[in-house]
Amino acid sequence: MSLMKAPENTQVWVDTSRCKACDICVSVCPAGVLSMKAEPTSTLGAMIDIVAIDSCIGCNDCELNCPDFAIYVADKKADHVKFAKLTDEAKARAVAIVENNYRLPENYGK
Amino acid sequence: MAFNYDKYLRLEKMPTLWCWGCGDGVILKATIRAIDKMGWKQDDVCVVSGIGCSGRFSSYVDFNTVHTTHGRTVAYATGIKLANPDKHVICVAGDGDALAIGGNHTIHGCRRNIDINFIMINNFIYGLTNSQTSPTTPQGMWTVSQKAGNIDPTFDGCKLAIAAGASFVGRETMLDPKKLERLLVKGFEHKGFSFFDIMSNCHINLGRKNKMQSAMENLDWIDSITTPLSKYEKLTPEEQLNMFPTGVLKQDTEAREYCDMYQEIKDVHQGKRKVITQDDFEKKI
Amino acid sequence: MSTREIISTGNDLSARAAVDAGCEFFGGYPLTPSSEVMHTISDLLPKVGGVAIQMEDEIAGICCVIGAAMSGKRALTATSGPGMSLKAENLGLAQMAETPLVCVNVMRGGPSTGLPTRVSQGDVLQAKNPSHGDYKSITLCAGSLAECYTEVVRAFNLADRFMQPVIVLTDETLGHMHGKAELPTLEEVKAGIVPRKKFEGVPEDYFPYECEGDQPAVLNPMFEGYRYHFTGLHHDKNGFPTEEINTCRDLIQRLEDKVELHRDELELNEEFMCDDLEENDVLIIAYGSVSLAAKEAIRHLRKDGIKAGLFRPITLWPSPAERIKHFTDKIKNVLCVELNIKQYTAEIERVSSRLDLEGLYKVNGRAISPHEIVAKVKEVF
Repeated sequence: MSLMKAPENTQVWVDTSRCKACDICVSVCPAGVLSMKAEPTSTLGAMIDIVAIDSCIGCNDCELNCPDFAIYVADKKADHVKFAKLTDEAKARAVAIVENNYRLPENYGK
Repeated sequence: MAFNYDKYLRLEKMPTLWCWGCGDGVILKATIRAIDKMGWKQDDVCVVSGIGCSGRFSSYVDFNTVHTTHGRTVAYATGIKLANPDKHVICVAGDGDALAIGGNHTIHGCRRNIDINFIMINNFIYGLTNSQTSPTTPQGMWTVSQKAGNIDPTFDGCKLAIAAGASFVGRETMLDPKKLERLLVKGFEHKGFSFFDIMSNCHINLGRKNKMQSAMENLDWIDSITTPLSKYEKLTPEEQLNMFPTGVLKQDTEAREYCDMYQEIKDVHQGKRKVITQDDFEKKI
Repeated sequence: MSTREIISTGNDLSARAAVDAGCEFFGGYPLTPSSEVMHTISDLLPKVGGVAIQMEDEIAGICCVIGAAMSGKRALTATSGPGMSLKAENLGLAQMAETPLVCVNVMRGGPSTGLPTRVSQGDVLQAKNPSHGDYKSITLCAGSLAECYTEVVRAFNLADRFMQPVIVLTDETLGHMHGKAELPTLEEVKAGIVPRKKFEGVPEDYFPYECEGDQPAVLNPMFEGYRYHFTGLHHDKNGFPTEEINTCRDLIQRLEDKVELHRDELELNEEFMCDDLEENDVLIIAYGSVSLAAKEAIRHLRKDGIKAGLFRPITLWPSPAERIKHFTDKIKNVLCVELNIKQYTAEIERVSSRLDLEGLYKVNGRAISPHEIVAKVKEVF
């Protein structure tokens, strides 16, 4: 299995040049790590945004379900990155994002 | 885990031309991971694709790649494989490419049981050419060639492949990419014609006019019409009418592979064995 | 040149020629009157480690041949008129992707099912443009039993030189004719094999479709470390699909020019008793099995005091325009003889700028006899 070197201490990172804002990764993330944000220069007017990287549990669902090679998750063993456990707070945030058309509601959690 | 797809991609061709959320990309990634698991050298792999959105598969991967005419992937692949029997050949075709115009070649690839891996990306529509009816488009759905509602009955590609003699037949969807990858690996490991029916979402063409505008809605629909084989077998016939079983639907490890059988022909002509007769076969009809 | 004699049929000789010329793959489908090519080669090829397969239809027959050729093998298919029609789309892909292969067409009565067991030359125009779009066909036509062999050998070398399909037209008469053929020795055939060009440098420097405007692509065999893409779409130097304005234009122009600007390498004619022809003598233009009758007719005519000669193009497409014009400018009385209705005559009219050519055409599946040609000459000249 070939592995790619992750950026230092990063659980998940994106290549925005490849992202087509399809919402799939946001819809499958169980921990509310990902959201779409408005991006007027992109084709669909939106772009992937990592909003809660410390909640990432390393399940890899975002990467597996991304059709465009746009999102990557660090390797638990090879990259020595700490992943979180799935909390109720993270789950609630994920639900809120999906229900708000895949965007983190403004002022969420504040 | 961070899997390095870049090694297998023609990076200058990224991003793909597929629509946002198109399942083709997920299947492409699963296929790459499966090839990596097999440990095949890139130089030993040939990917042959047909016409359609799935046809663009071959231009994104860094193997020996061929983009053929509509429906003919198996025929081209048969030539490539027979001429180079120790190499690995993967066909990628859409549901129209595999079952409509290419139906005959698919049938005979299965019949010969030649060691080719045939991935049918089944999105239930002709996507690239904008929503014409395919042999798997459900009756009653809107298509651009049958705007009054599709009357064409569908057929099950896996049942066709099993009847035609493929020795490995499997179906998955891209809802669970890891499961998909495992099925692909099983099929790649199998020696013989491996037929994969991979159900994919086309929310832009099939979904948009059929109440499934988003990728997620399309995926939910696919989820609702598929169930693992073990569960499927426990359903009533009425329930089975609207469900597809997933997983390995057939695996016959005893079936003889065509290139191996052709080697016997070479041996006959080179005087290494006597002429092949009916006694060499269990099946005599 | 040393020779050997083989007694056989045209179809059998075509199959042997392919194997002698290094063919390693045959794919086809039974079609009268070409099936015997497949029958013979399905015994010859596996003996030398090659593969011959009867596919499920004509289209699969050409597709598997193109696949094998793309992977680097010399590959052959054989068919007749209806099969050529079915193969058309994929012959076009082989033209576009620049895949060398040889396609033998044993012509029979057409159109459609026509006359399966009888002769015609009705596929000549089809051979010029079997598929849609712009490209230059290379079509050879065997005019004797020996040429059923030698033209197939030449076809393989031309296919590799020009990186495209080469059509070899024979016909039912020659395909099924059983007789003696004087052939070059096997050593000579082997020594004359010129395989396709290969790129020898590092893969990073390899651009298969990047070449001079009058040269074919240099396509390395598959599985040897040079990975690239084949497609029927317009493509760039790597073989990847593109719609870029200049790339598309240059690609199609190159498909044309790689043949058109090297016609001298393709041209092959026979000028039978033409050396002493003058303005008021008779020139017969014929090709294929008809030329056998024409030569016999010329011997009769000369005995009767009429000086006649035969110009026989062996490479039909591209046509030997200048050589034809040389004769049609010089000689007033020209008789075109074909087993079709003016298919090649139209080309002779075009290159000669003459509309006063006489013609003898037959389309009922029967051969043209020497007597018919003699009678026609005496009637019209």
